[in-house]
Amino acid sequence: MNSANVIEIEELETTEPIACCDVRMPAGLLGFEHIKDFLLIAKPAEAPFRWLQVKNNPSLAFVVIEPLFFVPDYRPDIPDADVDFLGLTSPDDAAVYNIVTVHGPRRATVNLKGPVVINRNTGVAKQVVIANAVEYSVQHPLPVNEAA
Amino acid sequence: MLILSRKSGESIVIDGRIHVKIVRVEGDVVKIGIEAPSDVPVHRREVYEEIQRSNQAALTRQNAALPKLPLPQTERPKRKIAKGS
Repeated sequence: MNSANVIEIEELETTEPIACCDVRMPAGLLGFEHIKDFLLIAKPAEAPFRWLQVKNNPSLAFVVIEPLFFVPDYRPDIPDADVDFLGLTSPDDAAVYNIVTVHGPRRATVNLKGPVVINRNTGVAKQVVIANAVEYSVQHPLPVNEAA
Repeated sequence: MLILSRKSGESIVIDGRIHVKIVRVEGDVVKIGIEAPSDVPVHRREVYEEIQRSNQAALTRQNAALPKLPLPQTERPKRKIAKGS
């Protein structure tokens, strides 16, 4: 698993209260191809969740998560064409987030077939249909605290 | 819908920049080769639609309440961060 992802979480919990950065998605998200500009927002109180919010429109947002803690054996196979599109030169360049569907206070699922891959250096991102999508679900359940 | 007949090895060109070639026909399976610029996403339709539906269901508001996840009890991996180096 990419250890660089872990570092980012540590940084978030110990430094800035709200971290935010621009994410440019030239191809949009599947079904939302016309929306290209997003903000990736992290609030420590909501970790490990983050928000992929439509820039200039806080009412449109997606909850995202890095899958490392919850799906430790997740191995998304990013097609070469997408690696080229994103300009990735090493695995450390890529931040992988998966979109969460919150079904209620006790149920949330995560889409493992179509992760959002962000080039850390450029902020360019794409929702990638992974080559091994058949091995994963678009509704993989997250372990939610029963006492929540 | 435009319907064209093609033989194995033949192609069609879309918009002068997208080439779709019938690579092989085996029974009811057709192998198709697609050459398209990197800004033209190409997907299997059923996977595309599955992710599209998932995205639409996931769309929410930035202030929506989030469930609590049990964070693992194991210590987080540590690594020195050399910023700006």
